[in-house]
Amino acid sequence: MQGPSIKFENVNLSLGNTRILQDISFSIRPGKIHCIIGVNGGGKTSLILSMLGQMPHSGNITIDWHDNRVIGYVPQTLEFDKTLPVTVRDFMGMTCQRRPVFLGIARSRHSQIAAVLDRVGLTSKSKSILGSLSGGERQRVLFAQALIPEPALLVLDEPMTGLDLAGRKILETSIVDFTNAGGTVVWINHDIAQVNEIADTLTYIDRKVLLDGDPRQVLASGTAAHLFPSLELFEKQATTAN
Amino acid sequence: MSAFYELLRQYIINLADQGIIHYTFLYEFVVNGFLCALVVGPLLGGIGTMVVIKRMAFFSQAIGNAALTGVAIGVMIGESYTAPYVSMFSFCILFALLLNFSKNRTKMSSDTLIGVFLSISLAIGATTLLWVSAKVNTHILDTVMFGSILTVNDTDMNVLLVTTLITACVALPLYNQMLLASLNPSLAHVRGINVHLLEYVFVLLVTILTVACVKIVGAVLVEALLLIPAAAARNLNRSIRGFVAWSVIFSTASCLIGIYAPMRWDLPVPSGGAIILTAAMIFVVTMIIRMVMPRYREASI
Repeated sequence: MQGPSIKFENVNLSLGNTRILQDISFSIRPGKIHCIIGVNGGGKTSLILSMLGQMPHSGNITIDWHDNRVIGYVPQTLEFDKTLPVTVRDFMGMTCQRRPVFLGIARSRHSQIAAVLDRVGLTSKSKSILGSLSGGERQRVLFAQALIPEPALLVLDEPMTGLDLAGRKILETSIVDFTNAGGTVVWINHDIAQVNEIADTLTYIDRKVLLDGDPRQVLASGTAAHLFPSLELFEKQATTAN
Repeated sequence: MSAFYELLRQYIINLADQGIIHYTFLYEFVVNGFLCALVVGPLLGGIGTMVVIKRMAFFSQAIGNAALTGVAIGVMIGESYTAPYVSMFSFCILFALLLNFSKNRTKMSSDTLIGVFLSISLAIGATTLLWVSAKVNTHILDTVMFGSILTVNDTDMNVLLVTTLITACVALPLYNQMLLASLNPSLAHVRGINVHLLEYVFVLLVTILTVACVKIVGAVLVEALLLIPAAAARNLNRSIRGFVAWSVIFSTASCLIGIYAPMRWDLPVPSGGAIILTAAMIFVVTMIIRMVMPRYREASI
């Protein structure tokens, strides 16, 4: 599998009179983890939705695909009526098979669904009602559905929200494994420590691109120290740990 | 098709004649009613689950009300007042498309907008139908609003059968997509699903289904048959499979009992009312089961 490279060129987006994105230009290399960070309301999710063709924008977003053109998308949250009789397996089935899910899971999908649920540590919850899961477990289900069919590009919108340490580790490992296998990851992430640890490249967005490049270099810059008041604390913690 | 229906009717009537089934089935209209119930029940039960998931109960109510206007227009332009399907389908489809179009174009919450359209459709429908029925036949109003199984003929059965086939052929392959689109439109979009188009398709399906069932269940009550069996099934189930299966069973049972019971015991209740009362009783029973039995209490969190 080979993930795509992505190029944003002068992307602009306005909703009504509000400018959401302004001249956004940067590139994402294939097979890498690219984190998008920034303040709330800075346009990160809008940028991702523009890339996914869900928001009208100007400028170019070019995805250079190879043979596999599948996108695995993990939305920020799954807002739904929690009393609906939809099990985890039902949810997985409805995302990846054509056969109506009330007729059961297609035989061809059985093993795939079992494998991805095992990968995110939710095998025992496959028959649980989706609404009965904790926020973290629901995030893991959302991540699991993104892996079927096997994607070349993973788009993650804050997938770690509500996850405990074990859950975070499981998802981190899956994401790193995915890029090791050649896939590309675009990841909105607020956790600077995590970005510093596993991202290959990062872009800081606050309506326009403020920082872009290797996280180790970018986070060491003076601009980064200005943008992240907590960065100094993080660096102190990292030094102490070393 | 008439020859096929006749063959089927004669077979059932012969069974009644030989005393194998109850003598009520000696009457042709009873057999017609039962055949319709066997088609309408599963169909409304199945689609009803999606109506509940999409929270579109009031939408089908608005369409039911629009059918009143459809009937009035039909009578005014000279269609048969027992089967004004052309005007009913045309008006209701236009009404549904307008409603959905407005829903996508305004920032108003959908229940408010549907509430507005529901009131408008009821006001126009009741006014025009009362005016028309006073000129032609005062029983039109009862028939359209509460259903009349006694007047079901081969045309009605043909309409129902064609609607059923269209609904099944369209809804079954799109069921998962509709479900996903209602849970998370963004996720559905990334999966290549045209969420807006799918919404229009579902709206049209509910519309043609509502219109086709007006004769049997009645314009006012068809929404209830979409909603109550699915709500009853939801009380007892933890998975989509159980939800759909029990909704279909409850809906079919309601139709069969609702048609049979008034004739069997000579009750002065229209078929539509009897069907919905049966469904309501099933709903109450499932509510009690859910409240009493801990196993079912956890079916809905």
